[in-house]
This record gives sequence, C-alpha cells and structure tokens, in this order.
Amino acid sequence: MLTLERSIEKTVNCIERPRASCALGGALAAISALPGVVPIIHTALGCGGSLSGAASFGSGYFGSGYCSGFLAPSSGITENNIVFGGNERLSEEISSALELIDAELFIVLTGCMTEIIGDDIHAVAAEYENEAVPVIALNTPSFKKNAYSGYEILLDGIFNKFLPPAAEHDEKLVNIFGLVPAYDPFFRGDLEEIARLLGKLGLKVNTFFTPDQTFENITSAPNAGLNIVFSRTYGVDFAKSFEKRHGTPYWVTDLPIGAEASDRFLRELQVKLNLDARTVERVIAAENRSYYGYFSRLADLFGDGDLKFYSVSVSNSDYAIPVASYLQKELGWVGLHSFVTDTLDELQEREFVRAYENSGLDAELLFETDTSRIAKTLRAKHPENRGQRYFDDITPLFIVGSTLEKVTAQTFGAGNLAVSYPVYNRVITDRGYAAYRGGLHLFEDILSSIVAPR
Amino acid sequence: MSYYDKPEQPVRDSRLVIGDSYTGTACGALDCAKSGCMLQQGRRFWQANSCQMALSLMMAATIENAVIVMHSPIGCGSSLFGLTPGVTKGNVKRGKAPKQPIWLSTNLTEIDVISGGEKKLRETILYADREFRPEIILVIATCAPSIIGDDVNDVVKSVGGQTGAIVTAIHCPGFKSRVVASAYDAFYHSLISRVPLEPIDYRDYNPPERADPDYATKIRALAAQKQNTVNIFNATSIGLADEQELTRLLNAIGLNVRIFAEYCSVDELRMMSFAGLNVSLCNVHDDYILKYLQEKFDIPYIICGMPIGFASTKAWLLEIAEFYGLADRARNLIASEETQVSEAIAPFLPKLAGKRVLICGGVVRTSVEAVFLKEIGLDVIAVRAYHYDDGADPVISDLADSLDDTPFAVSNQPFEMVNQLKKLQPDITISHAGTHGFLAKAGFVSVQLWDTDKPFFGYSGIFQLVRRLVFAQRNDSYTKRLAANVAQPYRDNWFERDAYSYITD
Repeated sequence: MLTLERSIEKTVNCIERPRASCALGGALAAISALPGVVPIIHTALGCGGSLSGAASFGSGYFGSGYCSGFLAPSSGITENNIVFGGNERLSEEISSALELIDAELFIVLTGCMTEIIGDDIHAVAAEYENEAVPVIALNTPSFKKNAYSGYEILLDGIFNKFLPPAAEHDEKLVNIFGLVPAYDPFFRGDLEEIARLLGKLGLKVNTFFTPDQTFENITSAPNAGLNIVFSRTYGVDFAKSFEKRHGTPYWVTDLPIGAEASDRFLRELQVKLNLDARTVERVIAAENRSYYGYFSRLADLFGDGDLKFYSVSVSNSDYAIPVASYLQKELGWVGLHSFVTDTLDELQEREFVRAYENSGLDAELLFETDTSRIAKTLRAKHPENRGQRYFDDITPLFIVGSTLEKVTAQTFGAGNLAVSYPVYNRVITDRGYAAYRGGLHLFEDILSSIVAPR
Repeated sequence: MSYYDKPEQPVRDSRLVIGDSYTGTACGALDCAKSGCMLQQGRRFWQANSCQMALSLMMAATIENAVIVMHSPIGCGSSLFGLTPGVTKGNVKRGKAPKQPIWLSTNLTEIDVISGGEKKLRETILYADREFRPEIILVIATCAPSIIGDDVNDVVKSVGGQTGAIVTAIHCPGFKSRVVASAYDAFYHSLISRVPLEPIDYRDYNPPERADPDYATKIRALAAQKQNTVNIFNATSIGLADEQELTRLLNAIGLNVRIFAEYCSVDELRMMSFAGLNVSLCNVHDDYILKYLQEKFDIPYIICGMPIGFASTKAWLLEIAEFYGLADRARNLIASEETQVSEAIAPFLPKLAGKRVLICGGVVRTSVEAVFLKEIGLDVIAVRAYHYDDGADPVISDLADSLDDTPFAVSNQPFEMVNQLKKLQPDITISHAGTHGFLAKAGFVSVQLWDTDKPFFGYSGIFQLVRRLVFAQRNDSYTKRLAANVAQPYRDNWFERDAYSYITD
C-alpha cells in the first residue's frame, strides 16, 4: 500500500498513527509512575482502558502501575450522564475511591465527553476538601493538544496549584522535568542516570517518576534550588510558573547522551549552581575513564565491521537533538535528516528550531507527524537506483526512530533501532540513554541490532 | 424499518436484556433478568475498562487492505499500537502479507468540537483514499462526534462516490453502552450497511451459461457447492488454531468451511452469502449478522454455544450435522475423536482432580468452560461473567443445571475479583486477557481464558487446555515473589467486606 514515488498533497490536519495520545492519556501515563497518586477518570469506562493500552503496550511494554490501567477508578459515565450531567456519578465515585483505595493524592481528570457537557469537576472535588486524603481536579480535555500537554497539565496542577508556595530553599536540591513518562520511553533510565551523576556532585535529586521516589519527593519539590527541564518544548511554561510560585529558577537544556554531551552538561551545571569546579572536573574525568574503558572495547567491532553509517533520526522533540548530536559527535556518523514527529505550536516550534540551529548539527531538521510521509520524504530526497551502473545512494543507512520506522528501514535496506514512541518491538525497564551510561547503552543497542541476525 | 436499514445499529442495551453488575447464582441471574432487576443494577465504584470502540478496533484492524479513520480527538486510536503486533502475526499465520494496520485520526480540536467535524472527516477520508489506495475505509465514529452531532453517515454516504475504496462507518461511542459486546453489532452493522456481501458474476465465480448443454447439471453443482458451504464467524478471542480445528472437523463430515469476518478482504467478504448455513461460535458475538443474513439471503443459522469441551463440541457438531443429514457421520467422527483425546488427557487428569477453579471472562466462554471443567473432575468454585445478555441464556441455563449453587457474578471489575480470590484461594484461576498482570501482583497464578495463539475449541482445544492447566500449576515462584514485593492499591479493610458490596439495586 505504501507507494513511495507518489506524493499526495495533504491539506487536512489529520494525523497518521499519531505518536501521542490525548491530554488525558498523557496525564494518566505520568500519574501511573507517580508514587501514591491515583487518578479518578471522569469519562466513559473505556477511556482509561484504551489510553492505558497506549502506554502499556506502546512504550516498551511500560505496563501498569500501582493503581493504573484497569485498576484506575473511573466514573464510567453513560448516555444518561451525557444528557443530565455526570457530577453526581463522579461524586459517588470519589466517595467510594476514598473508602477503597489507599492513596496520598487523588486527581480527578476529564476527557472529551465530560468537557463537552461541561461538568464542573472543581466544584465536585471541592466537596472533599476536608478529607484526610486530598482530592484535586484537573481538566485534561482530549481535544486540546496531546499527551505531552497532559503531562504539563499534571505538573502544573500538582506543583503550581496543589502544593503551597515554598517557605525555604535547599540549594543542593534539584528537580528534573521535561522527560514525559511513556511518551519518552526511556524516561526512567534517563532520570536515574541524571540523578546518579548529580548525586556524585553532592546534589539531591527529585526525579518523581522513578520507582525509588516517594510522595515526599513531590512535597519537597518547591524547596529545590534549581529545576532542570530536559526539553525544549515540554514543561518550559510550567517551570516558569513554578519559579513565580516557589521562587525556584529553571534551566532548559537538552538531555545529554554520551560523553561529549555529558561533559558539556556538567560544566554548564557547575556554572549554574556555582559548584566547585575541581569536583566537577574530577567527576568528568572519572566518568570518561569508565565510559571509554567500555566504549573503546567496541572499536574493534565498529572498525572491522565498517559500522560508519549515514543516519536519519525520527523522534519526538525531546530526543531529536540529543540523538542527532550523539550520532554525529560521538559515533562520527553522517547525519542526513532529523524528523521531529510532534505537533508543535508556533512558539514551541520557533524555540525548538533555534535550539536545533545552535546545536551544530549537520542533519536537516524536518517536521512530519505521518509515518508514510516520512518514508516518502526520504525517498523523494534520495531516489532509488534505477539501473545506473555508478550510483551514489545513501547506503549504508541507519534509522534511529520508533518501531514504526522498522518498515521504512526495511524499504531502504537500512538498520534501525526504536528509541522514540511508539516502541513495541523492544522491552524497556531501567534502560536509559542519558549521560555516560546511557551513551554506552545506545552504542550497545545500535551495534546489537546490527549483530543480532548473526 | 428493521435495525439493518437504519444508519446506526441499536446498542445492546436497547436490543437485548443486558447487565453488568450482578452477584448470586447462574439460576438467580436468569430470574433476575426475567424480572427486570438485571437492568437496574449498577455500582457505586467502577474501575476503568474497555468500551465498544476498543473492541470495534480489534475487529476493524484485522480487515485486509483497509485504512481506519478514527473520527475522534487524537487519543482514541492509540490502543492500536498495542493491537498491531497481534494483527501482523494474525496476517502472517493466515498466509497474508505482514502488513501493519494503518489508521488516520481526524484529530478533532476545540474548534472542531465547537463548529463540527464533518468537513474534516470528509477530507480525511478522501486523503486516506488517495494516499493509501485501500480497498475499504472503516470510519470509527467515537464519543465526541456523537455528542456534537456530526452526521457521520451522511459524510460516508456522500463521499462514497469520490473514493476508490468502499467507505463505511462503525458507530461505537463508548458512552452509549457499558456493554463492550455492543461492538460486535457495531462492526457487523458497518459491513451490512455498505459492504457488498454477494459474489459478483465472472469475478468471484463463473455462472453456468444457459446455452451450455450441461446447464442444468452445472446449476445443480453450483447450488450443491453453496449448500455444502458452512460459514463460521470468528471474532477477537478466536484464533487461527480454533478456526483450523473446526474446519478440520467439518471437512471430515464432508462440508466446506469459510471463516468470516476477521482477516477478510473485501473480495472475501462478498462470499459471505454464498453458503448453506451460518454458524456462530459464541451466543453473544454474531446473532446480529446471522439474523440479517437469514432475512436478506435466506440462509439459516445455528447459534449453539461455544465448542469447548466434550459435551459442547459434540452438541455444536451434531447440530450442524443434523442440519445436513450427516448426523451418523458426525457421531462416528465424535466417537473416534473422543476416544483419542480421552486417552491423551488421561495421564493429566489425576493432577487436576478436585482442583478448585475460579473462572472469569466472557459470559459464554466462562459458562461453557466451567461445565467442561466440572465434567473432567475439577471443582469450579466461582464463575465471573463480564456481562449478561439474554442471548447467552442457553449456556447460562446449562451452567445453572451443572453448577446450581456455585457463585455466579456478572462483573469485569478487578477490585471485586481480587477480593473474591483472596477469600476463595482457588488452586487455579482462569481469566480474560488484561487481567493477568494484576492477578500475578495480587499473588494468583492464572491461566489464559483465551489466547489467539492457542487452540481452545474442539478436541485439540480439550487436550491443550488440560495440558496448560497442569503446566500452570508447576512452579509458582514468579507470582509468589512478585506479590510479596508489590503493594495492592486497596485498603486492607476492603478484603474484610463482601466482594460485591458495591453493587447497587
């Protein structure tokens, strides 16, 4: 069905196989990784099930958490509620959830149908303000933006609305934001590696969404001395509001992948937090010793196997710069194109393009949401050999993308590795690509994908 | 006007007696349905579940050379990523191309919700047609367009002339029914309403020519071929291994078999009316289309439970055989098959004798399998059916006869299931897909109620099920360790209360 030569004009903003679910889906995926937080989904029963499927099966088999997926409380509204309103059913559901479910915080979320009928979830939640366990309500309308905005709505609701303004600050405490649970499939491993590194500098780190965290990490967040946002697009506005409410400054940067990016990251952090420069340099030296101790062993495979590639990356905006940068600067590959599959608004796009242009990347930046159009664009830019005796094509090619790029890669005879959502041909637990260890992991996974058929 | 002529099918709530919240016995459930109390019951607490859209997608995703158009906000189709590997595998197993399902979302935004999404739907359909050149476009009409009043049928009808593909709509807004099984009707209605179900002369078959001296013979041959063809209807939980087993058995008594409608192309769907008999594999799957095929093409149908276990397989086969006057042949086959499989399972049965089983999932499958498990010596201590609909009354009656005082609940709710399990502590838990993760975390070893990779039906199903039940009992250390290290979300006092205490009248 995929005819690569033809290009049909697309004038409607439909999306082929969208690589993010709705705001409700994003909020649910994030809540499922937050300690002690339980959602109450004010929609038809199916939303919770379908949307958890998007994260459970679409993100390296992320699965379900403490009280997510099919366990999540849901008002399960029906036609009757669509006509007469769903507030009463919601209220009954909240009362029952308080009786039944052990939680530190309940968060009522909406979906398209309850937003359209205009149920006042805030009024309903307010009836429970004297309960031992707090109940807050957040509007996550499914027809505004997407899963990434659900993450931002959730952060804003918890940190900028629910938590009281910070009374004091601990300069050694850092909060990490910007890696979106499930929609950044390696968010847990990435967060843990960043926390490990910062720990070596004597900092305490709130990652919130990793299994080692408790609800206290959430409540201590306003006291942090710095918020690091590892995203040019997601969580930036949130961090601004956070600063206004709690007085914590923020730093927007790219997730470092590999030694080159991590060295830069640590030196910049040293300046931001006015850390002891000698300590930072000592950590950098130790990390590099370890990193290259492993990395260099693969020089034999890499060199003898002739594993230098043309590279194309296809990912969300969070991973686009880090991955392209790693492939170009760490592996010395020849970057051709970086496809960003997010739908960004004008401001987000401008910010992202600026960051990309400042990253010194050779790969051409392209925005495209649709898998088939990514394949077509590639083919249009790099035509097939039609029998010429001498033909300069783009082999050897490697595509670092999502599982959807597997078919595209096969069409081009290219290697491929899925690192961006959706990932359903790999299983992910604590693996991450951030920093030094992550850089080794990415090397390991790319090379493993090449030797796997042996 | 019959259901079939309407633009949209009725949900099961208005077509049948249905229910999703009940506790008692199987016999009590039948009484409760008759007296009307089944309809009244609900819950004070619900956990997220599936919806008719999710199940519709499972079927739609299998249709060959199709593009799915989700007329919805961006999130509704996102469960398709989870369905993709299974569909690709299903295609490969059936010798079809390993294509991944393609879908487009109309990505309804706030402006569309205010001003209507019809134009966007029309343009998306046209784009899907031009870009992917599918044979069929299945529009999934979800909650949002239903509430804002988009006339999806009008769009589908009016766009039809401009596309190479057949365009039809599956009307499946999740809020319209808590009974997920409504999806079967929604899916079949989409076929009935716009997909040709009759073979085309000289394309699908060569009709005998009047001038042919053998005209009468050829007409008879064609009629005989049609008459001897049995259509079997699969759906979601029924995999290739089951289709093959039933095909083998029906072939053995001299019948041709065709399988519909999952994993069919538009060309294959046209053969649906070229049959002498339509046969269901589940009382709650396909009465909607079987009755239509009878009404429209005069093809009789059989709905006779689900062929799981000795008695049900026998009844199912005999019912078909009797229709064709092949009962003697079938009885011989059954006798031979039963002897062989009985010998094969004999070494396993002592390991299962008296084992206490709880079974949970689709109403027909659980009821039929519970009766079978009792038949082979297990102790069925509870049955949990995902929904009640009166189409399932024959199998619920069988259950009531066989296990008259066994607790029977209508529930798809995990909090009730885990509560009941903690109290009953069965040796074996057989349960629906989607439950095995939380069951393991709660400390219960569980066996798949269905799995499209494994056989469940007929004699092959008997052997494999028995084998799997024994296998499941070997080595529970994974579950034990998992449960010891994972916290349950329920407060401790929940387990002191009745499992079904949140059900309301």
